[in-house]
Amino acid sequence: MPAIIARDLSKTFKTKVRPSGRLAALRSLVKPEYRDVRAVKGVSFEIDDGELVAFLGPNGAGKSTTIKMLMGILRPTGGSATVLGLDPAEDRVELSRYVGAVFGQKSQLWFHLPPSDSFRLLGSIYEIDDDDRRWREAELIERFGLAPYWDVPVRKLSLGERIRCELAASLLPSPVALFLDEPTIGLDVVAKREIRQLLAEAARVDDTTIFMTSHDMGDIEKVCKRAIIIHHGEVVVDESMKALKRRSLSRKYVGVRYASPVDLELPGLSPVKRTPTAASFEVDTSRHSLAEVVRALASRGDLEDITVEDEPLENVIAAIYETRSGAEAQALGLNASKGAGAARAGEAASA
Amino acid sequence: MLGTGRNGPGRLGGRTRAYARFLRDAFVVNLKATLEYRVNFIMQFFGMMLNNAAFAAFWLVLIGRTGAVGGYGFSDVMLIWALVSTSFGLAHVVFGNVRQLGRIIMEGGLDVYLLQPKDAWINVLASRTVVSAWGDLAYGFIVLALMNGTNLERLALFTALAVPGALIFAATFAAAESLTFFMGNSSAVSSALTEFMLSFSLYPEGIYGHGMRWILYSIVPSGFVAFMPLRVFRSLDWGLVPLLYLVAAAYVGLSYWLFRAGLRRYESGNRMDARV
Repeated sequence: MPAIIARDLSKTFKTKVRPSGRLAALRSLVKPEYRDVRAVKGVSFEIDDGELVAFLGPNGAGKSTTIKMLMGILRPTGGSATVLGLDPAEDRVELSRYVGAVFGQKSQLWFHLPPSDSFRLLGSIYEIDDDDRRWREAELIERFGLAPYWDVPVRKLSLGERIRCELAASLLPSPVALFLDEPTIGLDVVAKREIRQLLAEAARVDDTTIFMTSHDMGDIEKVCKRAIIIHHGEVVVDESMKALKRRSLSRKYVGVRYASPVDLELPGLSPVKRTPTAASFEVDTSRHSLAEVVRALASRGDLEDITVEDEPLENVIAAIYETRSGAEAQALGLNASKGAGAARAGEAASA
Repeated sequence: MLGTGRNGPGRLGGRTRAYARFLRDAFVVNLKATLEYRVNFIMQFFGMMLNNAAFAAFWLVLIGRTGAVGGYGFSDVMLIWALVSTSFGLAHVVFGNVRQLGRIIMEGGLDVYLLQPKDAWINVLASRTVVSAWGDLAYGFIVLALMNGTNLERLALFTALAVPGALIFAATFAAAESLTFFMGNSSAVSSALTEFMLSFSLYPEGIYGHGMRWILYSIVPSGFVAFMPLRVFRSLDWGLVPLLYLVAAAYVGLSYWLFRAGLRRYESGNRMDARV
C-alpha cells in the first residue's frame, strides 16, 4: 500500500470581496460578499513507502495547502487523502505520531531555550520514555553535529544551526514519513548543502519517506528521486528526477575561448554570448550533433578552453511554471497528472 | 500500515498520565524560558503585586469612610481579591497562551500544535506562561496569609477553590478567543470579556441587581470565580467545592467544544513563527 495517496484533493478558501465605493463598503459591513478561491483543484498522486519526492511549484501554486491537507492541518473541500493508511483530516493526532514535519517558516523549538530543553518537552509530547529519548538524542547529536550548540538558547543560533536542530527534532520520534516545507529557505550555500546531506542520510539510514517542497533546485536534485510539479492548483508533471533531467539533456550549453579573435559563423547556430575571442552557444541536440558542433568550433582558431554543460534544471522547471494549466502542460508533452505508478512505468519503459 | 510505526502510542500507559507528564514538562520549560530573563521576571512579579496592593489601599480608604459596601467588609473585599488574583494568575501561569489564542489562530500559528500528537487545544494553551501572572498567583496567597495567618485548612480550601476558578477563567477566555475561527478576529470581544470578568469579580456581589447576577453566573462567570468561592471560604463549607469543579468542567467542556468546532474552519497561514 502506498505511504501517501491523494485522490482529487481540492481546497477552496472563501475570501471576502473588497467592495469599491463608500456605499458598497457600508453595505458589506452588514452583508459581506465572499468569493471562492480554489487553491488546490483535484490533485492526485501516490507515493510509495521510502520514496523521496519533491513537490514543486511557483508561489501560490497550492504546495503548502496540499502538504497541510496531507498532514491534517487543513480539511479538504473535495477528494480524499490517505497517509500511512490514515485519513489526515479525521486521524490527525494519531497520524502525527508517525509523521515528522519541518516547516522552514515555523519553529517547533523554544526560542529562548536551548535545544536540549525543547527535545525534552518533545519527548513528552511524543510519549517517548526518558531512556529512549536520551538514547535517540545522543544518536541525533552525533549525526547532526549538535553538540556545540545543544545547550545554547535557540535565539543565539544561526539560521542554519536552527534548521539543523529543527530537522533533528522532527526525527526524534523516528517518523515513518517526513514532510518538509521549504526547509532550506534563507540558508547560505554551505548550510543548504549540510541540510541536504543530513536529509539524504536520514532517508537512507531510517528508510523514511520524504515529501518536500522547495524552490531550491539543489535541494531537489540532491535529495529527491521523483518530482511532482503543481501549478494553479493542478499537477502538471509527475515523473522521476531522471526523466525530468533528461529534458535538460536535449539542450546543451557550449562555451569556447580562443587565443586570438576568430570568425564564428556556424550554419543554423547563433551565439547567445559573444566577444571577439569567446562565445557561448545553446545547442538543441535533437537538431544538431553535439560532436559536430564541438569539432567545428575547435577548427575555427587557436582554442584555449571549451566547456559543455547541460541546461540547468531550473530552466526546465521555469518553463513548466510558465505553462498555465495541466492541459497546457499535457499539450507540451509533459507527464501531467499521472499517478506515480504510471510515471514510473513510463520511466522504466524508456530506460 | 501503521503497524510499521516505530513510536506507537500508549507505551507509557494511560492518556491521563501522558498528559500529566506533558503539562509538567511544559510548565518546567515555560518556567525556564521565563527565568532566562530574571530581572524582567522579578520586575513583573513584584510590579504586579504592587499594582494589586494599590487597590487594597483604595478599598481600605473607601470602606473606612463608607462602611460595608454591598454587604462586604474590608476582609471580604481582600479575600475576593485574593481568590480572583490567584485564580487569574494560575490560569495564566499554566495556560499562558489563553489570551493569545485568537492571534495564534488568525496568524496560522496553530500548525505547529496540530502537527504534534497532543490535543491542539491543551498543547497551544500550555505552551507559554505569562510572567506577570506569577505575581497575581503569589499575591492571593500573601493576602490570605495576612488575613488568616497560618490556618492550614483555610489554605487548603483556598487552593481547592482557586483551581476551578483558574479553569473557569481559562475556559472563558479561550472560548472568546476561539470565536476568531468564526469572526476572523475576536480581539474586541475577548478584550471586553476579560475586562468585564475581572471588573465584575472584584466588586461585592451585593451591588449587582438580579438581572445582572444571571449574567455573572453564565456568560461572564464572575459568580463562579469570586462570589460563590467567597461564600464557600467564609463558611468553610467543603461540601460545595465539588459543585465548583463540576461547573468548571462544564465551562472547560463548552470552551473545548467551541474550539473543536472552529478548528474545522482553520485556514492556517504562512507567517514566520517562533515559540517564545
